[in-house]
Amino acid sequence: MPKEQYRETYVGRKISHVTFNVDSPAAIQQAAHIQVITKNLYAQDGQRVPATYGVLDRRMGTNQKDANCDTCGLGLAECVGHYGYIQLALPVFHVGYFRSIITILQTICKNCSRVMLPAPLRRNYLRKFMNPELSYLQKKNLRAAVHKKAKACTKCPSCETLNGMVKKSPAGILKIIHDKYRTKKPTDGVVKRVLKDFHEAKESNKELTTMINSGLVVEMSPVEVMELFRRIPDDDIPLLGMNPSLTRPEHLILTRLPVPPLCIRPSVVSDIKAGTNEDDLTMKQSEILLINDVISRHIASGGKSELVQEDWDYLQLHVALYINSEMSGIPLSMQPKKPGRGLVQRLKGKQGRFRGNLSGKRVDFSSRTVISPDPNLQIQEVGVPVHVAKILTYPERVFPANLLWLRKLVCNGPDVHPGANYVQQRGLKHKKYLKYGNREKIAQELKCGDIVERHLVDGDVVLFNRQPSLHKLSIMCHRARVQPQRTFRFNECVCTPYNADFDGDEMNMHLPQTEEARAEALILMGNKSNLVTPRNGELLIAATQDFITGGYLMTQRDCFFTKDEARQLASCLLAGQDSTMRIDMPTPAILKPRQLWTGKQIFSLIMKPNKNCEVKANLETKGKNYTGNKDMCVQDSYVIIRNSELLCGSMDKSTLGSGTKNSIFYILLRDWGEEYAVRGMWRLARMASFYIMNRGFSFGIIDVTPGKKLIDAKNKLLEAGYSKCDGYILEMEKGTLQCQPGCTMEETLEAVMLSELSSIRELAAKACFRELHPTNAPLVMAQSGSKGSNINISQMIACVGQQALNGKRVPNGFEDRSLPHFERHSKIPAARGFVENSFYSGLTPTEFFFHTMGGREGLVDTAVKTAETGYLQRRLVKSLEDLVLHYDMTVRNAMGEVVEFRYGSDGLDPSYMEGKDRPVDLARVLADVRAKYLSRDEDPLDGDGIELAAAETLALDDFKTCTQEFKNELLTFLKSIAAKVRNLRTRYAQCGPLVKQLERLTLTQLVQFLRVCHHKYQRSVIEPGTAVGALAAQSIGEPGTQMTLKTFHFAGVASMNITQGVPRVKEIINASRNISTPIITAELMQPTDQEFARRVKGRIEKTTLGEITTYIDEMYLPNECFLLIRLDAERIRLLCLEVNVESIVYSICTSKLKIKPGNVHIVSEWAIKVSAEACKQGGWLNLALQQLARQLPAVVVKGLPQVARAVIACNDTDSVPTYKLCVEGDGLRDVIATYGVDGRKTTSNNILEVFHTLGIEAAKSTIISEIQAVMEGHGMSVDRRHVELLAGQMTARGEVLGITRYGLARMKESVLNLASFEKTADHLFDAAYYGQTDCIEGVSESIILGVPAAIGTGVLQLLHQHPRAEPLQPRELLFDRPEFHSSIWE
Amino acid sequence: MAGVLFEDIFNVKDIDPEGKKFDRCSRLHCESESFKMDLILDINSWIYPMELGDKFRLVLATTLRENGYPDGGEWNPLETEGNRADSFEYVMSGKVYRIEGDEAAMEPASRLAAYVSFGGLLMRLQGDANNLHGFEVDQHMYLLMKKLAF
Repeated sequence: MPKEQYRETYVGRKISHVTFNVDSPAAIQQAAHIQVITKNLYAQDGQRVPATYGVLDRRMGTNQKDANCDTCGLGLAECVGHYGYIQLALPVFHVGYFRSIITILQTICKNCSRVMLPAPLRRNYLRKFMNPELSYLQKKNLRAAVHKKAKACTKCPSCETLNGMVKKSPAGILKIIHDKYRTKKPTDGVVKRVLKDFHEAKESNKELTTMINSGLVVEMSPVEVMELFRRIPDDDIPLLGMNPSLTRPEHLILTRLPVPPLCIRPSVVSDIKAGTNEDDLTMKQSEILLINDVISRHIASGGKSELVQEDWDYLQLHVALYINSEMSGIPLSMQPKKPGRGLVQRLKGKQGRFRGNLSGKRVDFSSRTVISPDPNLQIQEVGVPVHVAKILTYPERVFPANLLWLRKLVCNGPDVHPGANYVQQRGLKHKKYLKYGNREKIAQELKCGDIVERHLVDGDVVLFNRQPSLHKLSIMCHRARVQPQRTFRFNECVCTPYNADFDGDEMNMHLPQTEEARAEALILMGNKSNLVTPRNGELLIAATQDFITGGYLMTQRDCFFTKDEARQLASCLLAGQDSTMRIDMPTPAILKPRQLWTGKQIFSLIMKPNKNCEVKANLETKGKNYTGNKDMCVQDSYVIIRNSELLCGSMDKSTLGSGTKNSIFYILLRDWGEEYAVRGMWRLARMASFYIMNRGFSFGIIDVTPGKKLIDAKNKLLEAGYSKCDGYILEMEKGTLQCQPGCTMEETLEAVMLSELSSIRELAAKACFRELHPTNAPLVMAQSGSKGSNINISQMIACVGQQALNGKRVPNGFEDRSLPHFERHSKIPAARGFVENSFYSGLTPTEFFFHTMGGREGLVDTAVKTAETGYLQRRLVKSLEDLVLHYDMTVRNAMGEVVEFRYGSDGLDPSYMEGKDRPVDLARVLADVRAKYLSRDEDPLDGDGIELAAAETLALDDFKTCTQEFKNELLTFLKSIAAKVRNLRTRYAQCGPLVKQLERLTLTQLVQFLRVCHHKYQRSVIEPGTAVGALAAQSIGEPGTQMTLKTFHFAGVASMNITQGVPRVKEIINASRNISTPIITAELMQPTDQEFARRVKGRIEKTTLGEITTYIDEMYLPNECFLLIRLDAERIRLLCLEVNVESIVYSICTSKLKIKPGNVHIVSEWAIKVSAEACKQGGWLNLALQQLARQLPAVVVKGLPQVARAVIACNDTDSVPTYKLCVEGDGLRDVIATYGVDGRKTTSNNILEVFHTLGIEAAKSTIISEIQAVMEGHGMSVDRRHVELLAGQMTARGEVLGITRYGLARMKESVLNLASFEKTADHLFDAAYYGQTDCIEGVSESIILGVPAAIGTGVLQLLHQHPRAEPLQPRELLFDRPEFHSSIWE
Repeated sequence: MAGVLFEDIFNVKDIDPEGKKFDRCSRLHCESESFKMDLILDINSWIYPMELGDKFRLVLATTLRENGYPDGGEWNPLETEGNRADSFEYVMSGKVYRIEGDEAAMEPASRLAAYVSFGGLLMRLQGDANNLHGFEVDQHMYLLMKKLAF
């Protein structure tokens, strides 16, 4: 049967919700077909027949192909299985509910079983629990509150019995003890009375005396607990958070154990050895039955109570292991021999039921093989091997138009490629396999309505995917093209979204099976529709590598073609759908002395091959190697494309490649549509590869051989650098090195050396660029941006450079040196990992070793990063997946709670942003319109005319759909143009009519401009139903994989590092309480005054007494002894500290040293006398003094205790240097309150700190700015809308919730969602305890239950108000009419 | 002469002042004799080498036909005989893409610059606006050159 289209009305019943509860023993029995009592698995006859009433009884289903179920009579594939149950000899605790059981015991009275709350409080809580709107989270909180109140209660309010503490017994596993008399003293009357009971025992055995107090603690057996629970009145059950209509507390204790059907625990029969391999569950159950048996026998025969107790414990353990085999705390003697898989283990983890089978499933019609490139394939195509095409089939229904074609396919059969594998005739159940039998006959019998499972053919819609699927562009829809090879092939332009290369990567392909699936795939997932990444709206599918190199070489200024060459090059465009296209050659740029076309002219054919082509692309942008002077740039790197004609500039990565909005393909896409963009890309792919093949482009040793000039330049550079370094080392030895703010001299030296040495490599790279010939292959690649950078070139040719480990020079791995080849304490460049050789000249042994160290760091980094970012991505997606844009343009979560009132505050789609976070790049559009609409015969407008026309046009009805904000943006832009025109007109007034050519803007152009802007704006409004959450999660998670773990220097301060990259993103997203580098940036009231800054710094930075004293001396005089503290006046003045003797004395007295004020005396302005008391240290006064002398230097005399250090950061980019303070540490509140700090502009990078100090909105904006800062630090741009949504979700509850399992549990209601994330079993047990209902609203739940999710095309359902039928009137019965009765009575 | 926009004799003042970046191209900086126009011009130096101090006649025309009829910017490979190009040594075809004044000064000025691209070989003609009369953006244009003997 082919896959049926999903129609909601076809589904007879819909799962509206899932409710969890704890099954009662009665329910377990009801669900079961048999009671399992036999511990044997098989009957003892050797026939391998399952024992009746054993755990493998056939009445619970079948596990063999040849045997049928005894209950329903169906076979292995059909029987759904039936439950059984085991009656336990004694009740045991359920491991999953053990914590809940203890909590209940702590809540209820251990005598009367009532919840220990005073009556008014009980009523209050009861009312709260009865609220039908109570959310899951509120319920949990309420129960915790009740628990807290009741736990503190020592005397039951209803029966006045003494209640003690209930806790898990430390002695055994799953044991509970009740310490009833804990609150009473042993001398208390009550306790004495209990102890008296032990009197006799104490008399007879003296050794018991010491143990007597433990007799006060009582162990609570499951039987007792069950009895207590049974007596809990129904009225009290809501107070425990349970739902009394579903579950009673005593059900938490197991008396019956359900035995799951056989089909979930299949036994494996092996032919080789005798016996079978049974599932862990089966084994465990039979073990439980065995223990059960033993206990029953003991009880029946009146065996020793110790023996029963021991077996009971054993039963308890095994029942617990059956449920959760990874329990901790099992004593060594009881540990099972081999750890099996318990029920919990089947559910949890990546391979578990939830993540492995419910959230993701295995599929048919998929294939996987190695990938390889093919520039001759179009962008939207994928080359599929015939082998694959013959196996993947599509069920095509026969109708008159395709009857003949399908007949032919059927005739071809499964072995010839365009063939078919099966035919299903209409009305028949089974399908016919076409390999055997008379295919001709079947083909002739084919009629409309039959279904042919035909091979995959050219043009079929397939999904193509490469793992890891980090964003939506990792799985896209292509058109198949069947080819005779064994790999999947596609155009290299599509490598970027998949992040694929061809070093052996494999990819997957899926064939959608219904027309609906094909249509949705093609429109929504088609790679033509996904040229642009929703992360920031930049082009992702664009020319790469060789295409860029080819484009670059072709568009060089000195690239000329003769007539033959030019025509041959142009003719390579004739392929695919363009095979019959007319090409209009432009006029050759040079007509005499001989006709020559330039490469730029030929390149222009890519955009507009003939006159009939309507494409008029316009672009003006700087290239990669732009030097200045706009189009007169000497490197010819200023690109002007006017009406699809490349006028100047050579194309490179920034104008051809991905990750930019200035690429010509982006312009084609935005102004002319995806079809033209894709076609242009393909034309470039063909032309560039053809050109580069003809021209030849290779790489050899000659390309990396430095010339004499280059070697000289490099040696000079090295010499200069080394001498500078030697100078620094010398200075440092002399101690004259100027310290950087907040650094010691050593640190300063390291910093300056590192910057000096890394500059050598950069200068060497510059020298390479200068000296190498422009045709040098690596240089061409670096300059075009196709591969490699200037650093790579410089490393190959000139100098490998400084090897950094952890952002520092190579550390000392030996004693005081990095390698034994160097002197101890050597700080010269070579001893600390500077490699002066190039890869060409070869590395010395020590250099090689240093280089491997750097290389290893890179490798370790990548390995660690992948695991970390993968988890980060999973968490982000799980927390944001439910956020959908609704039809009222609000972003809501699964429960319908608003997260953002308007998406990104403007409701625009990030993938349509042409400017920076704006939907239209106004300047570009204006230039485009000017070029497109020449309107030669029209007179250009003057300044006033522009303003007037703009205002009038915008007032038209057509522009009503724009927001006022956008209109204002347009107006201000046009006003600036008007001002420019006005200015030019007055300046060049004497130039005559030519002045009108300057900034020419006619009325037509102006109106067109406004129309185009309006159109673009309208287009960028986001569609309702967009999964904005998932997009945000992917947009933030995916760049994470490209980030390297490194720390960056803080702006302006070399010594202050701030965590960056993945670790920082992790911190922000986790909402960590303690971040690794908290920094408060404090703006000052007088930002230009350095002296002022220093004073404020003194107020903030922690200063201890030791730092400002010259000495602290013990003075022993004949009549007294004391400590004399001598303050360092010079230092206090230097540090601008606002302290004096009084304030210091005050600090000493208020410190933790507990010095009495009477013992501290001021001697003079700079001296303090502190005397000690000899009460401690055994009365030794000198010991007391010495201790005090040790402790006193640590007394804080000024500054904030939480602050580690403060550094003055100087910003001297402006004309007047400005100063601000960078404060390391927490205490934002105190810093803001410090006099001299401008509190309005002071921020911290610690989100929780900001939250506590300034509130939730401030925290939200801090999250946004911090994430953006990290992304920018790594050169990645993410649209602000994504980050805002993440921050919105984190702060939506009024507190900062991290994207962790704890935060997630507070964001989501759905149990299934939480269970499919982490802590599967805990969430399920909790849900069962509370009787939680899951209303299948979110994405995860919908997937788990196979319901279409309310997201994307699923947000809207057809609502139809069925006209209500008139209520049925009882028909008047014939004999109710009195006239028919009258005769009887009369 | 019909169809001629500009004509003058230029002196080559400088060749590749910022260094030779392209093997087969040179950038000439020239100055005209009669109108004192500044000219920057890229030429293919392999097929038409120029040296410092060379003197040449430069004509900018909208058509190559002697009669001055516009050729509509269409290129006809057959129509190469008997036209204006015959009397010149070096002929290029291109397009005016920009006309602008110099940004720097604010005071009234009359010097404008016209930019022409001959398939990527650029020309900038800067000088008094009256000499640039008839220049329009997007205009098709031929450049004709002939070296003058001393």
